[in-house]
Amino acid sequence: MMLVVLVLTALALYFAQRNVAATAERDLRENFQAAISSLHKVQALRHSALTERCRELVLKPRLHAALEDNALDLLYPSAKDELRDLMEDAARKREEANSLQARFYRFLSSSGAIIPPPNPTEVGQLSREAEAQLTLKRLPETQQIGYVLETTHTTNGSMNEVMALPILSTETGEVISALVVGFEPYEVVDKGTGLKSGIWVNGRLHLPSLPRSTQRKIEDDFAHAVSKADGVQNSLKVTVNGAPQLLFYKPLNPGSLFPPAYEICVYSLANSIAQRRRLSWQIGGAGALLLLLGFVASHFIAARLSVPVEELAVDSEKNRAALASTSEELERSARYSADASHQLKSPVTVLRAGLEGLLNREDFKPEVYHELSGLLHQTYRLTGVIDDLLLLSRMDAGHVEIDSKPVNLSELIEEWLDDLGALPDSPDVKIEKSFPPDLYVAGEKRYTSLIVQNILENARKYNRPGGCMRVTAQSEAGDVVLLIGNTGRPIARDAQRYIFERFHRGGTRSSVSGHGLGLNLARELARLHGGGLRLVRSGHDWTEFEVRFRALHPAPAVTAEVA
Amino acid sequence: MRLRVLVSVSAICVLCPISVLADAVVEGRVNLPKSHAPPPVMAKRYEIVTNAGVLATKPPLAVVYLDGSFPTPTSHPTKQVAQKDLAFLPPLLPVQAGTAVEFPNLDDTYHNIFSYSPAKRFDLGRYRPEERPIPSVIFDVPGLVTLRCDIHEHMRGLILVLNTPYFVITDESGRFRLSGLPSGRYTLKAWIDSKTTREQPVELKSDATLRTDFP
Repeated sequence: MMLVVLVLTALALYFAQRNVAATAERDLRENFQAAISSLHKVQALRHSALTERCRELVLKPRLHAALEDNALDLLYPSAKDELRDLMEDAARKREEANSLQARFYRFLSSSGAIIPPPNPTEVGQLSREAEAQLTLKRLPETQQIGYVLETTHTTNGSMNEVMALPILSTETGEVISALVVGFEPYEVVDKGTGLKSGIWVNGRLHLPSLPRSTQRKIEDDFAHAVSKADGVQNSLKVTVNGAPQLLFYKPLNPGSLFPPAYEICVYSLANSIAQRRRLSWQIGGAGALLLLLGFVASHFIAARLSVPVEELAVDSEKNRAALASTSEELERSARYSADASHQLKSPVTVLRAGLEGLLNREDFKPEVYHELSGLLHQTYRLTGVIDDLLLLSRMDAGHVEIDSKPVNLSELIEEWLDDLGALPDSPDVKIEKSFPPDLYVAGEKRYTSLIVQNILENARKYNRPGGCMRVTAQSEAGDVVLLIGNTGRPIARDAQRYIFERFHRGGTRSSVSGHGLGLNLARELARLHGGGLRLVRSGHDWTEFEVRFRALHPAPAVTAEVA
Repeated sequence: MRLRVLVSVSAICVLCPISVLADAVVEGRVNLPKSHAPPPVMAKRYEIVTNAGVLATKPPLAVVYLDGSFPTPTSHPTKQVAQKDLAFLPPLLPVQAGTAVEFPNLDDTYHNIFSYSPAKRFDLGRYRPEERPIPSVIFDVPGLVTLRCDIHEHMRGLILVLNTPYFVITDESGRFRLSGLPSGRYTLKAWIDSKTTREQPVELKSDATLRTDFP
């Protein structure tokens, strides 16, 4: 158990630590992306400002006149005037870095090649290599962004962001030339967050804040990554001089006619890794401490709680065993009764058939017929006992289910009283009855009838000659209470508690027929109907039983007569 | 006032010797390109339109002129191309080489008329309506000159500089009549747009009217 807890805790700690690490990395990325996205917003604003300036320029009538009226020699001289405001001068450059001033401009001919300027110093000087990068395969239909690395002056060189705008002929609407303007790119130098950004183009990285050797390392890693990437913004981890760096890149000019360029943002992971390591140690330490404390506490608590629980466990085990044995016994005895009843029924039927056959013969003496009819009577009694036993054993086994329907109790009593009166050995008993005509109870008619029959028969059987019998029934708070009383010798006080047991016949007079199952059967059936049977009193020539049924009124019959 | 007197006197001086000798007439019709049903307007104006790089007037008009080597005028006749409602008026002006053209500004704003055309490059700079003397340019080389305004990029005007004093602009249906022409064999040309000039040889006789159509 201890081992399981230990393993589970270790797993939980491991996942918690991983989760924290992942969250930290995600936060880092999000911060990074936020920084980059704000940078991009600045860039987008700057681009739109530059575009607006350049768009005005390509509409200038003098440029159009020079291009359309066959006066190319006037193109650059006209542009010099028109672009005077855009071009930076040395003094202004020193004041405003990242300004909207252009470093150079050129025009492209209809083939996409540069129209050579008569005086390169006036249009911003460029090396031949850089000028070659400005050349396009064809004239652009829309504005194009490109990046050109000028490597002549310093070891790091300088990156230029170029914008090529098509010049549309006012006469034909076709693109007749393009104005290419070079600007200083917007670069972020954020010393606070350690974020460094640069531009990668044509396999070269321009990130002046990093040493050249580092740039070469990143160039190699990046060229490898970019060849596999799908071209959208992505990130990779690079190790430079043993220090891990997170590198984000994003295409700067997707779809441009200029060579593809990427913005590279480099962020040193050294701090964040150290922080994460510290964090995992803290989590691990805290977890171990917690586990230890937990073990100690659980040990003490378990020691105190386990005693009563163990006792309870032992008791419940005993109880379960006893219950099982009892229910098994009950089941077995019920099954035994059922089997015995079935086994008895067949010989009794054979016996009865034989006796009936003998009775039909006419060559016996009259006393033989008397004996035979006595024996036949005994077979009927035996069948009754067997039927009762069979029903009881089925009830014990829980196989009897009541299909509750409204049963007219009043009618049932009337029928039985009628039948009892017709019996040949009826003593001279006066019958008093008092019940409303339509008392309905919930039950199954044959069982309800059996209850009523048993009690009424007892009342008749145990009566004295010239006695009386009173049957009353009434509704009482959702129940129907049937009271059956009779005159006759009362049941002995100490026998009263056994009268509901099987085969008990309190103070039996041998002259009285019966087998001691009736009351037991009636009570079991009454209980099964959700009611009950009890002895109300027995003494002073009066014995009275109470049967309680649940009242159930039949649904009113639907008649066609609607007044 | 003095200027106008000077202009009319010089015009008489230039044309007199020729008109004395010349009395041939040529008339006819130039088949002009179909104009797509111009919307009816109250004030009838012509403008220079470009279509696939071709400058022409709209609705189409042609300039019919008698080609040949005629003496250039010793003094400069003067014509005018005004800027009115941010457009050139007239939008198409045929002149004989050596003619001075004035560019009066009749708008309430600055204009800066210039041309980079090989026939004449000039730049008048910005000027206001009340600029005096009226900025003018002498057109001495035959050819088509495209007029532009540096301030209003949509403005276009054409000056057709010809080496002949005998020219006329057709009416809208293309009909023309040139009179007072010298007799002899010449080439009659019809300038229709910046890329199209048709020509026909003609033989002109004194006191005779030649009927010539440009199909």
